[in-house]
Amino acid sequence: MGAEKNRRVSMDPRSGLFLLIMANVVAFTQDSLKMELGWIGLLILLFLLCGCISAGIKYGLVFLAVLAIQWYVLPVSPKIIATSFSIFANYARRMFPCLMVGHLMVKTISLRRFIVGMRKLHVPQKLMIPISVTLRYFPAIREEAGHIRDAMRLRNIRGMEMMEAMIVPLMISASETAEELSAAAVTRGIENPAPKTSVIRLHMGPLDWICIVLSIAFAAAAVIM
Amino acid sequence: MIRIEKVSFGYGEEKNTLHDFSLLIPSGKCILLCGESGCGKTTVTKLINGLIPHFTENSTLKGDVVVEGVRVPEAELYVLAKHIGSVFQNPKSQFFNLDTDSELAFGLENEGMAPELMKDRLAATVESLQIQKLMHRNIFSLSGGEKQTLAFASVYAMNPAVFVLDEPTANLDEAAIGRLREQIALLKQQGHTVVIGEHRLYFLAGLIDRAIYIKDGFLNQVFTGEEFWKLPDKVRAHMGLRSLVPTELHLPEVRRASDDLYVKGLVVEGLTCGYRKQPAVFDNLSFTAVPGEVLAITGPNGTGKTTLTRTLCGLLKEQSGKILLDGRLLSVKERRRESFLVMQDVNHQLFYDSVWNECEQAAGTQDGAIEAVLQSFDLLSFKDRHPMALSGGQKQRLAAATAVLSGKRLLIFDEPTSGLDYRHMMEVSAMVRRMAAEGHIVLVVSHDKEFMRCTCDRVLRI
Repeated sequence: MGAEKNRRVSMDPRSGLFLLIMANVVAFTQDSLKMELGWIGLLILLFLLCGCISAGIKYGLVFLAVLAIQWYVLPVSPKIIATSFSIFANYARRMFPCLMVGHLMVKTISLRRFIVGMRKLHVPQKLMIPISVTLRYFPAIREEAGHIRDAMRLRNIRGMEMMEAMIVPLMISASETAEELSAAAVTRGIENPAPKTSVIRLHMGPLDWICIVLSIAFAAAAVIM
Repeated sequence: MIRIEKVSFGYGEEKNTLHDFSLLIPSGKCILLCGESGCGKTTVTKLINGLIPHFTENSTLKGDVVVEGVRVPEAELYVLAKHIGSVFQNPKSQFFNLDTDSELAFGLENEGMAPELMKDRLAATVESLQIQKLMHRNIFSLSGGEKQTLAFASVYAMNPAVFVLDEPTANLDEAAIGRLREQIALLKQQGHTVVIGEHRLYFLAGLIDRAIYIKDGFLNQVFTGEEFWKLPDKVRAHMGLRSLVPTELHLPEVRRASDDLYVKGLVVEGLTCGYRKQPAVFDNLSFTAVPGEVLAITGPNGTGKTTLTRTLCGLLKEQSGKILLDGRLLSVKERRRESFLVMQDVNHQLFYDSVWNECEQAAGTQDGAIEAVLQSFDLLSFKDRHPMALSGGQKQRLAAATAVLSGKRLLIFDEPTSGLDYRHMMEVSAMVRRMAAEGHIVLVVSHDKEFMRCTCDRVLRI
């Protein structure tokens, strides 16, 4: 959920969330290979449509690799490896669609559009402010932590001592950053109770409706079968 | 109009930072608040934008502040936000979004402005501040100066009557300061009231209607713009103020790396640096720095000063080139052992629970020297204090002291004077000179010409 990029097609955050829920339903109820392949194929198609071509192809290849391991490698490997890895491979396959949808959302839906989407869904402001601040706060802290690590290397502080020494400067820097961020936010009226607006207009396009309909169809089929 | 009436203010139980302070600022005027660090400038800016008392715990406020007809101590902050826009010192921590477009719209979205109106307002802001090239970008890809411009723009978009700027130049290079000057001129021309608390003064020449000199929490003197810019240098320095005119820097160029690489000091030969998989930040850089001299490294933001210092300190591996100390080729690891970086935010490099322990870790086995070194850095009487309880200048000296104790030869100071007043700048200057005189190789990365002129012997421009 980085900066907004000009993509040709991008999902509405609401249909993205819906797709994520449906992906979970399908993942834990379906039991047929055809359906699984269809579902994965559909998601790869969605990747390609959203312009994430290389990521889509990579997911396809990784999925095939998991299948190959499950079908051809595990049956001929020693028993101890086969038993310990077959559960792992099975779950990796099941979680695969959820991972794909999550990745697609992070890649194509900017934080800004996500927040507007959440507002449209009437997620309370009390929840939205902490979520958006947290998403903004962590990259800032990571930057600071990098500086602190540099400083420790120059002082030749290592190992366990490093963990201990990190705490004070990190806490100081985290609390300063929090204070400065909040000061900047309140002086720009973040506490204003007026309903928030946005220049971004979200609307559900054909792609969104197709995603919703198809995912419902898959989920229904998975539950019934 | 801003009316501050008989205000006394103190944080917690401590003594007051402002005493019986009264000030009337008519609409459309541009006012400078000046004085030494800790004189109460920032307190006055916070009185105006409402961070005092609304955002300050355990404080005592007497008196009254009225801005644009709104009584600040009683109004909600979001009501004040419509009338007063604030730009702060640290460009890193003024953002709420990850992309520039959202940030610009942030204040307007909070106000609940209609989307159509908002679009027009945003377009007008981009146009009048000429920030087309800042739009559609990730905030983390902006330089410090660009971030500060964006912070200014997002406040400007809200079109408040009053602008409060608290040390806006502390982290800016010369070009960014020039842009800020233009922005303030634009505000003046549009009839906004502008209040600036600043240490760097030269860039405000011709913009200021009144300069308010604050000393120890009292309003000491009020000057008109003309009077202020005619202050003789001696008087100005005695008041603890930075130069009123731009500083000309006529330092000799850095020593070139000679064919003889085996001279005493630091020799950099054909250095090319960059981050993985990205084009080199600079290439084929060669120079020499000798003990006893202070070398300034200067240049606009984003030209690789940070990359160079990190490489010299062994925090980053060079792509090609050589770094030698006294004729000996240094590996990355050896560079880490021989060099030290005093960071701009010195809080990042103090780790222990007392000044003494901090030094003990740095000194390793030779802890006999600690007392003498602390004495020379004027820190001995604080040896049992927690480093975080020291003042900014003391922390900086402590970081430098740890470098001396661990026997580092090469010392690099990164922006050591950002946000410092005249007296503190001179103290840093004296410390840097002393360390060079003791035989260290000292490099100073800085934008601060006034500081470089009185501290450095040569300059490397990149």
